[in-house]
Amino acid sequence: MTPAPNMNLRDLVILVADQSSYMSMLIHSMLRGFGSNKVLEVRDSLGVFQALTGQRVDILICDTRLPPHGGLPLTQTIRGKTDNEHRTIPILIMASDSRESTIKRARDAGANMVIAKPISPASLYDRLSWVAFYPRKFVDTQSYFGPDRRFKIEGYPGGVGRRRGDNVAEVAAESGPALAQNDIDNLFSAARTGQE
Amino acid sequence: MKGKPGASDDARVFAVETRFQKLARRPGGISREKAIERADAQIEEVKPGFDAWLDGELSEFASLIKAAEDGKADPDWIAKANFHSRELRDSATTLGFELLSFVADSLCDILDTIEADSKYNMESITCHVDALMLARQKSYRRLRPEQVPELTKGLRRVVKHVTIAQPGDEETRS
Repeated sequence: MTPAPNMNLRDLVILVADQSSYMSMLIHSMLRGFGSNKVLEVRDSLGVFQALTGQRVDILICDTRLPPHGGLPLTQTIRGKTDNEHRTIPILIMASDSRESTIKRARDAGANMVIAKPISPASLYDRLSWVAFYPRKFVDTQSYFGPDRRFKIEGYPGGVGRRRGDNVAEVAAESGPALAQNDIDNLFSAARTGQE
Repeated sequence: MKGKPGASDDARVFAVETRFQKLARRPGGISREKAIERADAQIEEVKPGFDAWLDGELSEFASLIKAAEDGKADPDWIAKANFHSRELRDSATTLGFELLSFVADSLCDILDTIEADSKYNMESITCHVDALMLARQKSYRRLRPEQVPELTKGLRRVVKHVTIAQPGDEETRS
């Protein structure tokens, strides 16, 4: 496997939006371990908007259950506002509920990636690394603004790989049990630039 | 774009290079292996505060249950209990406390079912809170679920009982 390129998070402003202060603190600790020195924490959508209007934010890591309306409507709002300078900000959605319907809603709201809770340092690192090293084009249509949903994953840079037998991109009808992170990645149609 | 959700003939597709992407690729970063090792070390540093936080969570559960038993619970108390349960499961898993994580996950299954169905059996919740009290003890903290088979089998039976509706056994949420 090709070694992962080194990722440099120093001076990047990372906004963690989670109602749980303890979970947020754990994620903050992980990010500090990755070399990040500018992590902001907020507990609700209002906090996100205040942070986004008050300063530059480089990436948003947001929980699906963020009060009051949830992280997915928030993502849609950020993507939908045409005069918003953060309209193309990378958004990682954290989901305790990793049912297929939730993951599809996150993808269709314009999230770059969904990360299943509980979160480990490896799972968080790999998804940040993916956003950093495999940028996706944006698509702007009447009904959608966000990262291109058409692509496939062939493993993270030096991190977890796809399982043999995983399907690429196309997804089954929604319903059913929670998905494993690899299934989420596939459902999310992970990206490799130029290999659509 | 043809045939794709949300696509239309006038779709605009354009490249975006965000500041995150530009700066994350700068020289001077750290390797994946080192980053994960350092993140694990950071997590170890916050572990000593877990007990105090856990005590607070368990006391929240106790208050919610007491209020429900006294008929004084907020209408959204199950949602609140579910929030604490998920928080506990996610934190315990990240910190490597497997038994706590297992019990909290089992409680999440119960509360998810109740949230979807509006009916609940209080004993299914209280037995999980009792199991959490047990799993928080230092002698149990490092155990894996398979090392306490009676407990895990019992909780699985409770989850099965609740998730497969048993008409007449449940109370309706007040």
